Amino acid sequence: MRRIWAIARKEFIHVIRDPRLLMVIMAMPLLQLFLYSYALSFDVKNLPTATVDFDHTTQSRQYLDALQQSNYFQINQTLTSYAGVDKAFESNTDKVVVVVGAGFGSNLAAGRAANVQILVDGSDANSAQLARGYTAALSRVYGSKVIVNQVEAKGFSTSSVPQLSSNTRVWYNPEGKSAAYYVPGLIVILVTTVLVLQTANTLVKERENGTYEQLIVSPIKNIELMIGKIAPWALIGALQIMLISLIGIFVFQIPFRGSVLLLVLSSLLYVSCALGMGLIISARAASVDSANQLAALVAFLPTLMLSGFIFPISSMPWALQAISYCFPGRYFMVITRTIFLKGGGLEVLWPQMMALAIFAVVIISLASVMYRERV
Amino acid sequence: MLPILFIMPIVMLLMFGYVVGSDIKNIQLAVLDSDHSVQSQQVVDSFVNSTYFTVSARPTNEAQLKTALDGGQAVLALDIPKGFSDSIRQHRSSQIGVVVDGSDSRTSQQALQYSNGIISALGAQFYPQVAAAAGAGGVNVQTRIFYNPTLRQVNTMVPALLAFILLMSTTNVMSQAIVKERERGTLEQLFVTPIGRTDYLLGKLLPYVGVAFIQVCVTFIVGVLWFQVPFNGSLLVIGSGLMLFMLAALGIGMLVSLMSGTRQQAQQTSQFIQMPQMMLSGFMFPIDAFPRWLFYLTYLIPLRYILVIVRSNFLKGSTFMELWPQFAAMALFSVGIFALGLSRFHKRLAD
Repeated sequence: MRRIWAIARKEFIHVIRDPRLLMVIMAMPLLQLFLYSYALSFDVKNLPTATVDFDHTTQSRQYLDALQQSNYFQINQTLTSYAGVDKAFESNTDKVVVVVGAGFGSNLAAGRAANVQILVDGSDANSAQLARGYTAALSRVYGSKVIVNQVEAKGFSTSSVPQLSSNTRVWYNPEGKSAAYYVPGLIVILVTTVLVLQTANTLVKERENGTYEQLIVSPIKNIELMIGKIAPWALIGALQIMLISLIGIFVFQIPFRGSVLLLVLSSLLYVSCALGMGLIISARAASVDSANQLAALVAFLPTLMLSGFIFPISSMPWALQAISYCFPGRYFMVITRTIFLKGGGLEVLWPQMMALAIFAVVIISLASVMYRERV
Repeated sequence: MLPILFIMPIVMLLMFGYVVGSDIKNIQLAVLDSDHSVQSQQVVDSFVNSTYFTVSARPTNEAQLKTALDGGQAVLALDIPKGFSDSIRQHRSSQIGVVVDGSDSRTSQQALQYSNGIISALGAQFYPQVAAAAGAGGVNVQTRIFYNPTLRQVNTMVPALLAFILLMSTTNVMSQAIVKERERGTLEQLFVTPIGRTDYLLGKLLPYVGVAFIQVCVTFIVGVLWFQVPFNGSLLVIGSGLMLFMLAALGIGMLVSLMSGTRQQAQQTSQFIQMPQMMLSGFMFPIDAFPRWLFYLTYLIPLRYILVIVRSNFLKGSTFMELWPQFAAMALFSVGIFALGLSRFHKRLAD
């Protein structure tokens, strides 16, 4: 025990003496927290839009006004023909061009279909998709408003017309705040990045510095060395999780609906997984360089991309979905989000908890075996 | 070291191509059908046939529906009430309850957009008399999508990856290379040799420029041949844009290496500055959706300009004529950063 403590103290002093390392551990999470909370939104508004109005009637102007007033489109130029469309797209001046066909007003008045053509720059698939959806919805609303007015002008009531409607409720995050979604997920990402990377470096660094031999001749046992090496990082991991949770809850006002105990328990399991992965890399890697690259390859990249942090797993090709099961980040991601946003307890989270527990046991035992072999 | 240099771009290409490039589909749907009728089955079929949804849970009461959403087994839930089909048969209004898991606003919005479309089509099917009475009036929208007609996300992603991989590899490797020599003390040895400082730097740069060039080529070829991204641009425009950008990336790497004493520090610092670049350049997240103050910050990021250049040229065939503002900004940044790096480097060595 005393020997473990000595190693842990030494490791701590390393961290505290290295201001840049401290910055990475503490400032990096904060920076990411703010960036993800503010920057991460796919909900584009004010799409730069050009119009071509072949109709020049009150109705066509009204229709274009309706688009402008929706805040989804920002009309920044009026073209007189199709000739300027390519130029507008190629120079990125506009992403959408709305073309109102000749006869728009008279067709609407006569109860015939009035034609509108929407040209969309597809090179930015996300904006293009939104533009397509917005124009379709706004046009439908505008069209049916005109029809309702016409019908009512004839003296019929439209409220008695039977129709199919949907009653939509949005649960958990009704305002669609991106912080609420990304902050719980960020816990997973940050813990993975910092813990795996730093533990991966521990042994390799000693070896590169030549202090490793000194450790071997000391009376310390392998397992004590291992525990001493990872204990400070486990503590730092716990601190990070607390820090992010508190800032998320108090600064970004994200809800916390679940149980603290479950979060602590799952964090412990996940931190063990991360430390274990770091140790395995540490035992395998030949140099600091390759330890860093390995950590990026097996920990950081898969956790960022395959855990469902930003990109929904269900939309991925099946091969990647299958691979995603092999990284513990995926399970912890579900757990943190469910605890924060949905308030789900063990009754819904037991499969993920179980998976995490299995991962933790397997990774840690693998790590200690490999560590012993290496030493 | 060498294999990892090549594995990295391919892994990134696969990850970004398949993960970031994937479109939202297969949305998990929970169906609570309390009506058990032909019509309610028709509703479910319409959702499934749209290919956007797959039925993942069939709760039989409200509590089970809640569990399905709580446990993440479903993103969207349909609640078809008892008497749904009776209302339709008797020409009364009917309603479907839609519950969406809003925690991921992007997926939930998309899911709602799809489901609204499906439900409005079902309305016309269930109440044909009403649809007929409304006539053919209204606004008929015809959408044409240029350059990327099927709206594949991959087509947006792959061109951007050319620049991103270039940034990742050059900044990292460059920042490591000089620090490594300093750590080992071989830098001083080099300077007692007749090699000049600029010679040293250029010699040091060249191999990495070569590696970066190969990485970009690999990305390009895999993108066009494997991911089938249409290339409508010109190699001259893309090439000169990437060259300019590489200067900036190398300059950043040099500055990082000057600020760092050890390789670990260099690695941490470059990670620290790469992350905001990735997030604020429009690489993954649309900058148009940022709050204003953050949007103005993006002007300071060279990656932002090169992304516009590669994307516009790759897919739309934009030329220098349309892209000159981006080229001008890039040139300014590249020359500025590279010159700063160079002068600091000389000064540092002179000390």
